[in-house]
Amino acid sequence: MTVREPPDPIIRMVDLHKRFGELVVLDGVTFGIPRGLTTVLLGPSGTGKSVLIKHIVGLLEPDSGEVWVDDVRVDTASVRQQYAVRKRFGMMFQNGALFDNLTAGENVEFPLRYHTSHNAAKRRKIAEEKLALVELPEVYDRPTSALSGGQRKRVSLARAIVLEPDVVLFDEPNSGLDPLTSSTVDALISRMKDQLGITFVVITHDIVQALAIGDWIGMLSGGELVEYGPREDFLKSESDVVRGFLARNHTV
Amino acid sequence: MVTALARIGDFGLFCVRVGRSTFRHRPPIARSIEEAYHIGFRSLPILLVISAFVGTNLALQGYNAFVPLGGQRLVGMFIALAGVRELAPIMVASMVAAKAGTEMASQIAVMRIQEQIDALEVMAIDPHWYLVVPRFVGICLVLPALTMISIFTLVLASYLVSVYQLGLNGPEFIQLASATTRPVDLWYCVLKAFAFGIVICLVSCYYGFTTRPGPSGVGRATNAAVVVSAVVCSLLNYVMSEILFG
Repeated sequence: MTVREPPDPIIRMVDLHKRFGELVVLDGVTFGIPRGLTTVLLGPSGTGKSVLIKHIVGLLEPDSGEVWVDDVRVDTASVRQQYAVRKRFGMMFQNGALFDNLTAGENVEFPLRYHTSHNAAKRRKIAEEKLALVELPEVYDRPTSALSGGQRKRVSLARAIVLEPDVVLFDEPNSGLDPLTSSTVDALISRMKDQLGITFVVITHDIVQALAIGDWIGMLSGGELVEYGPREDFLKSESDVVRGFLARNHTV
Repeated sequence: MVTALARIGDFGLFCVRVGRSTFRHRPPIARSIEEAYHIGFRSLPILLVISAFVGTNLALQGYNAFVPLGGQRLVGMFIALAGVRELAPIMVASMVAAKAGTEMASQIAVMRIQEQIDALEVMAIDPHWYLVVPRFVGICLVLPALTMISIFTLVLASYLVSVYQLGLNGPEFIQLASATTRPVDLWYCVLKAFAFGIVICLVSCYYGFTTRPGPSGVGRATNAAVVVSAVVCSLLNYVMSEILFG
């Protein structure tokens, strides 16, 4: 098991344990997420990737261990402190998590309505800019029910970046998408990292995506992080779990 | 037993969170009015129909009960006691629990399953404030009004049946009904409506928030919301009647 420590971590998890009833989901996970880079956490379904990512923003509390975002310890922070930390985050959920009673554009400007004093025209302008950034300039007035799976994810991404956060979390950005749309989403993530210079954390079971966008890659298995480091190091991993996962996915 | 106690404790924590959210930030006024409008507007037609026919049947049964004793003129008093004090508030509560309560539970449950509540949390928007407080304010605004409308409809329908079908004396009906219903009784009905509104909203939203994944989870949450709301409101109705009316 090799877990490398990044030089300037924005997020750190220390000896994180989480179980649901008898099921141990995280069993002593310790690692840091490098600032300004894309970190991909890889693993088969049901290995606790979503659980791990939800700890970062305090959606779940660990049974033991620590979660740090810069100097703030999230797991023991007050509600007020947690909300202050969350304003530094955006998140793209697996199914988009868009509000069905709002249009695509209203979804994007939703955080602006509650966290800025911008008027309606200014909010709309910003939302349209973000929709253009995710290559969906024409969908502002479209109901979310009229969006395809890929479009929903991109609108969700536009909403995640609308407050210009420091970190964006992605929960399985390619699940349920065809290969062509998946590669479009990957290209979008890479381009946005270069344009916006923010930290991306992606969890996925898709090794192709992990290698396409990840600067740092980690592999979760059996509740533990079995390998974590820069992409080049990850590819040279001698861990049986990593080699097996890569081989099964016909990557090496 | 342990599970039930844990559930009650969890519900208590949920109520504390809602209470905190209500007083920490100003309630979203526009959304609260919107909720009040939806709850009131959607429940009104069915409420009018049921209140009217409960009124007609109360008059008929009251008349049948009093005729052998020669006291059929007391139907107005019977309507005031049974209909105004007891039946109208609990009937409105049951109707709103079945219509608005189930809607609250299912909407919030679907939002929970589709991770929209998590999305609110990540956007640093308190989901209790955004989802529960407007419904709470809305139902508290509307339920007393619906109760008053129900009382009026019930009394009017029973008056029409008593006078035009059963041949009772109209002015005497009104005189006995108004003599039995003190103004304070109507305030007590408003108080009951407030209490029922709080119960329906908190119970329904709680079951929505704590739903299990999948369509069956939504169904179970909706069902539990209406059953628990109705049972708690019925119990509360008895306790409040005992305290308020003696």
